[in-house]
Amino acid sequence: MHWPHRYSSLWHMIAAPIVWAIHFCTVYGWTAAVCARADAPGAARFGTGLATLVALAAIAWLGWHAWLQWDYRPHDPRLHDVPTTEARREFLGHAAWLLAGVSAIGVIFVALPAIFIESCL
Amino acid sequence: MRAALPFAALAFLAGCDGRQSVLSPAGRDAEVLATLFWWMLGGAVVLWLMVNGLMLYASRLRPRRHPKHLAEWIIFGGGVAFPTIVLAGLLTYALVQMPQQRAPGQGLTLRVTGESWWWRVEYWPDGATEPVVAANEVRLPAGSRSEIALAANGVIHSFWIPALGGKTDMIPGRDTRMSLEPVASGEYRGQCAEFCGASHAQMAMAAVVMEPENFQAWLQQQAEPAAEPATDEARRGRGVFLAEGCGGCHTVRGTPARGRVGPDLTHLASRVTLAAGVLPMERQALRDWIRDPDAIKPGARMPGYDHLSDADLRALAVYLEGLE
Repeated sequence: MHWPHRYSSLWHMIAAPIVWAIHFCTVYGWTAAVCARADAPGAARFGTGLATLVALAAIAWLGWHAWLQWDYRPHDPRLHDVPTTEARREFLGHAAWLLAGVSAIGVIFVALPAIFIESCL
Repeated sequence: MRAALPFAALAFLAGCDGRQSVLSPAGRDAEVLATLFWWMLGGAVVLWLMVNGLMLYASRLRPRRHPKHLAEWIIFGGGVAFPTIVLAGLLTYALVQMPQQRAPGQGLTLRVTGESWWWRVEYWPDGATEPVVAANEVRLPAGSRSEIALAANGVIHSFWIPALGGKTDMIPGRDTRMSLEPVASGEYRGQCAEFCGASHAQMAMAAVVMEPENFQAWLQQQAEPAAEPATDEARRGRGVFLAEGCGGCHTVRGTPARGRVGPDLTHLASRVTLAAGVLPMERQALRDWIRDPDAIKPGARMPGYDHLSDADLRALAVYLEGLE
C-alpha cells in the first residue's frame, strides 16, 4: 500500500501510546463493569490478560516497524536535524521506537495488579 | 552552629518512636509498611549518593570529556533500565503485599462509624446477635486478625492507627472494610486522616491492644449495664444527668438515658481518654468538657452546660467518673 504522507504525519509516532491509552481505558472500564455488575474477579482478570496480550502484540508490531523506519546503525550519529525526507523519516521512527518502549512498560504496569489482586475490592 | 544542626535534627527523631508512629510498628501490617519504608529510604540514600557522586566525579574530580559511548550507556542504564527494573520490583512487592493487608479477619468484627468528630464503635464477637456498643476507643486482642467494618455519618473520615496498619476511608452511604492484626499489647493512638471539618484535628482515639484473655474479660464487662452510683454525690450527679436531658443524646445502659446522637457513656470511665482522644479521663477534664465543649472541640454538637452550678457540675463529673 502506498502512503503519500507517510513521513509527514505524526500519527505513526504516537500509535503505540494510543494503544496504551486504549488498553488503560479497556482494563479500567472492563474491571469496573464486571466487578460492579457481576462481582466476577475471574472475568476481570481474564479480560485484563487478554487486553494486555493484544496490546503488547500491537506495540511489538508498531515498535518493530518504528525500528525499521529509524534505520538504526550503531556508529552513525543519532541526529536527525536536517530538513530532508530521510531525516524526518528517521526522526519519527526513532521517536516512535522510544515511545513504543515506554508504552510497553506502561501496559505491563497497568496490568500487573490483575496478576496479584484476586478480588474485586 | 551549623555543626550542631544534625544533632538537633536527631532530637526530632525521638518523635518517630511513639504511640502514633508508622516507624514503631505493633501490628503485622504496620511491620510490612515500616520495612518497605526503611528499604525505600535506604535505596533513596544510595541513589542520592550515586547521583551526587557522579556529579562530583564529572565536574570536580575528572572534569574532562568522557567517551560518548560510555555516557550513552550510563544515561540508558541509569536513566531507563535501572529505574524501570527497580520500580517494577517495588510495584510487584507492593502488589503482593496488598491482598494480605486486607485479609479477612477471624472471630471479632468491629464496626466503626465516623461521626463529627468522634467514633461510634460496635464490637460483634463471632456469632453475636447484638453488638457491644462503645465509643472513641478501639480495643483489639493481640495475635489475631480482627475484621473492621467502616462507615461514616455525614462527611468522609479516614480510620488510621499508624502503629497497627494502613488507613482506610470511611465514606457516607458506602461500607468499606479493613482488618488489623496487632502483635504487641499496649496503648496506641489513632487519628482521623481525612479532613472532616472544624475539629478534624481533634478527632483521635485511643487504640488499646490486650492479651486475648484480658480482652474477653474486658468485652464481657463492657456488655454489662452501667454501674450504680456508689456515693450520694454520684447519685445526685445521675439526677443532674437525667434532669438536664443528657439522655436525649447519650445512652447509659441500665438508666432511662437512651439517646443515640452522641457517644454511648455506659462505661465512659473505663476509657483511656475523653472527647475522642483529646482530654485525659479525669474529673477536671470532665467538668471542662461539660461546661464548654466548643472551647475544646470547635463545632461540636454538644451544647455547653455553663448554667450548671459548681456543685451540680462536680456531682455530674463524679457520676460519670464512676461509670467504669
